[in-house]
Amino acid sequence: MIVGDNKPLEEIAASLSGYRKVMILGCGSCVTVCLSGGDREARQLALELTRGHLFHGSPPIFETGTILRQCERDLVAIHQDLPAATEAILSLACGCGVQTLGDVFEPLPVIPALNTTFYGAANEAGVWREMCQGCGDCVLSHTGGICPVARCAKSLFNGPCGGSQNGSCEIYADVPCAWALIYYRLKKQNKLHLLHTVRQPRDWRPAGGAGPRIRRRTGVGGGAGKIKM
Amino acid sequence: MAYFRVNDKCNGCLSCVQNCPATALSYEDREKQRSLRHNLALCARCGQCWRVCPQEAIEFQYFLQGPWEEVATLDLVRCNVCGEPLYTADFKQTVADRGRAEIEPFCPRHRQEIDQLGKAHYYPGRSKDERY
Repeated sequence: MIVGDNKPLEEIAASLSGYRKVMILGCGSCVTVCLSGGDREARQLALELTRGHLFHGSPPIFETGTILRQCERDLVAIHQDLPAATEAILSLACGCGVQTLGDVFEPLPVIPALNTTFYGAANEAGVWREMCQGCGDCVLSHTGGICPVARCAKSLFNGPCGGSQNGSCEIYADVPCAWALIYYRLKKQNKLHLLHTVRQPRDWRPAGGAGPRIRRRTGVGGGAGKIKM
Repeated sequence: MAYFRVNDKCNGCLSCVQNCPATALSYEDREKQRSLRHNLALCARCGQCWRVCPQEAIEFQYFLQGPWEEVATLDLVRCNVCGEPLYTADFKQTVADRGRAEIEPFCPRHRQEIDQLGKAHYYPGRSKDERY
């Protein structure tokens, strides 16, 4: 899922300076699950912004709400109402949600309350680790299911580098070396021969090097939710 | 049948309510009883309640393999020949309302056979392949 981290309260308050009424909008999907941008966090943020001495003068009036997914334009446009006299939206979604709200409610300013950080997985309660960078050309089939793009600090395709020490990355001792993980995983799978395969240099255009990526599927839409972009 | 089920190990500690990130769990104290409540529309199905429950009282597996629920029942139109289900009567009406020709209810196989018979009738003497 997409993982986000809350911005510092001071930074959020500075972004809201001058607004009298602000809608704090949580997102009910990824950021709810990673405990950074759901309904609970929206309410908590409203409390913290109101209680703290973060504003010169009175803080804005905050209203809170949450919508299932902020990243779907028709869903937001049809199902999300804003209270009267709202002057800005503080979004607890990832960057996709923030920008979608900005399109739907233009010219209302939409301010991010999170830093969108990575695509991660939870392998223990409350801890999400980066697993994927959405590079557009997945290599997991020949790296034992361990991503060198996201999990090697240097995104090496021919690791490990000289900084690999006893299975750990030189960045931090508690960060496992992705290429050590790959080696031992392939060894367990009796597929070490995959490491001997010489591969073509990577084409990074699918990773976004050729501009914003778009995925199209035809034959979708036409019902109540159809909104022209 | 409820998707969110709690077994009899639940002691009402409210750990799940306090930790639900989607505020999909709440409780109500009435007279001598405490009720745990769940809102499926708010639930993100993240499993946080199941993870944190000290009593292992959340039966999360029902969320992963819930039953099918009937949400609409409509009259069906079947093939006039073999009875194969084709579409609903309402769908047939929608198509008719949009100005298209009335659909005769035949399955693809019997529609093709009827077309063949019709063409054989109107174009006698042609081979089967020439008719199409």
